[in-house]
Amino acid sequence: MIAGVKGLATTLRWLLRKPVTAHYPEQHLPIQERYMGFPALLTDDTADEPFCTGCMVCVRECPTQCMTAVMHDNPKFVDGSSHRRKIIETFEINLNRCILCGICVDVCAFDAIEMSYEHELASYARTGARADLDLLLSQGRKYMTQTGWQAEAPDRNVAEIALAKKAAADAAKAAAAAASAAEKSNEPASAPESAKEEEENA
Amino acid sequence: MSVTLSDALELVVRLFLLFNVLAVLALSLVWLERKELGRLQGRVGPTRVGPFGLLQPLADGLKLLMKEDIAPGSSVRLIFFVAPLLVFVPAFVVWVTIPFAGDLVVRNLELGLFFFVSVSVLSIVGLVLAGWSSNSKYAILGSFRSAAQLVSYEIPIIMTILVVAILAGSLDFVAVVDAQASVPYVAIVPLAFVIFLIAGLAEVGRTPFDIYLAESEVVGGPFVEYSGAHWAIFFLAEYVNTFLVGVLGALLFLGGWRWPFDDPPQLAALALLLGKSYLIVVVIFWVRATYPRMRIDQLMSFGWKWLIPLSFAAVVTTAVQMFYGWPQWTLTLMSLGILAVPIYLQLRLQGKPARALARHYAEIAVLVEAKPRPEPEPEEEPEAATGPAPEGASA
Repeated sequence: MIAGVKGLATTLRWLLRKPVTAHYPEQHLPIQERYMGFPALLTDDTADEPFCTGCMVCVRECPTQCMTAVMHDNPKFVDGSSHRRKIIETFEINLNRCILCGICVDVCAFDAIEMSYEHELASYARTGARADLDLLLSQGRKYMTQTGWQAEAPDRNVAEIALAKKAAADAAKAAAAAASAAEKSNEPASAPESAKEEEENA
Repeated sequence: MSVTLSDALELVVRLFLLFNVLAVLALSLVWLERKELGRLQGRVGPTRVGPFGLLQPLADGLKLLMKEDIAPGSSVRLIFFVAPLLVFVPAFVVWVTIPFAGDLVVRNLELGLFFFVSVSVLSIVGLVLAGWSSNSKYAILGSFRSAAQLVSYEIPIIMTILVVAILAGSLDFVAVVDAQASVPYVAIVPLAFVIFLIAGLAEVGRTPFDIYLAESEVVGGPFVEYSGAHWAIFFLAEYVNTFLVGVLGALLFLGGWRWPFDDPPQLAALALLLGKSYLIVVVIFWVRATYPRMRIDQLMSFGWKWLIPLSFAAVVTTAVQMFYGWPQWTLTLMSLGILAVPIYLQLRLQGKPARALARHYAEIAVLVEAKPRPEPEPEEEPEAATGPAPEGASA
């Protein structure tokens, strides 16, 4: 009896409360900080290129096999402006297949992929569910601005070290050639020393 | 009595108008129920079709009418398709004599209360036939349940109507309403009003008593096999009946269109009656949002062991008061006193299991204490009590 009256009072109190319903397309609930949307690729601002090297570990670990990635030699590595030998060439995620499990994020060795806040990617095109590299990078850029996350410069630029080594080796080779050419010339050890110094500075 | 052509035409027009009014009322009830249930559950209800979702029931009805009308291959097709009408026609015919305000009525039958009692029971036949002709075990179970439930709860309704008839000294709805011009009967016989509301809930199969429609047990009862327009007719009948409970409650107990304004103009009278009816309907939906469904044995024992004795008590007290010509407040007192009996018993019985359990535990405690407990080993107790022993002691 008392419980019954209490029940009526409870439902009546709900009548006076504001409904919790949010009318979705017009009204959006705030996205939580740890919301997991579709994966996106982050950009390394210090080298102005994606973190992703196309190592395919995410492609292999993906339980739904929704990703493809192709790697190629990084043109920026040659001139030393990037420390990545390889870089992603094409990357595609089939968003119809993606189950937002986040395994790709966990296995990524370069922290190149993150679960972004993107969740409204429906489109009318049949191919609309394919996210290519440009889209993924732009989403990653958006995610970086949303979270305020920034790439840090690497403490050691492998490319410059390699370049220095190469320069040293070239210099040594040239010196050796010069020495062999001039046989009885003077100090041949100056070039390798300078190369060594350069390596240490780097 | 000879019936002229103009009389017949007028009757047809009035019935047509009544049918349309009832259809609109049923649609409004559908909207009201969905909206109110939504709000009571923290949702918003229909919002998309029309302003505030007002056209949603219309869209639903259109959808139902366009649906393919299927009959199971093993059904008795003639009865299967006639049964919805057998449910709807009594629900509709009752309204012929229900006055909306003064003379705003299709035909005042002078014996309106008796007409209601005799016609409203007929819809049970339709429900049973619907269940039987469907040739489905759920449908037949549901129709058996409906027969048992509706017949049981018809008695308290008739008894409360009898109370009103005794008080008003008439079976005419208009006379009943006129008799309530100063004091509505709910103030004189609150017991009868409560019984009427509960039995009315059961009579139209609203939630605490929706046993013959129970989705989780008999998947919709007699209507399992129905679809499309025929199902819509059942639904229409259900909502018309729900509103009938509201209107009857307003007419018989809340003073109809008379109380609290003695004799308002017709439009205001109509608004007053509709407002009171919708109030009762809102309460019915509110109850639906609150209580779970009863079991069938609970339903039966509640009906036969509580409602029917109480309704008889209401009739007897009313008759005694009228016979001896006691003042009206004595009837109110008697009514409230009788109403207090089940409330008191319920409150007592509610604590019974808990008290029995407490007694049981007390007995166990006595038994346990009677038997001396084995003393714990005396060696370890002091050591644990004195805290960590010095290192040398353990070595």
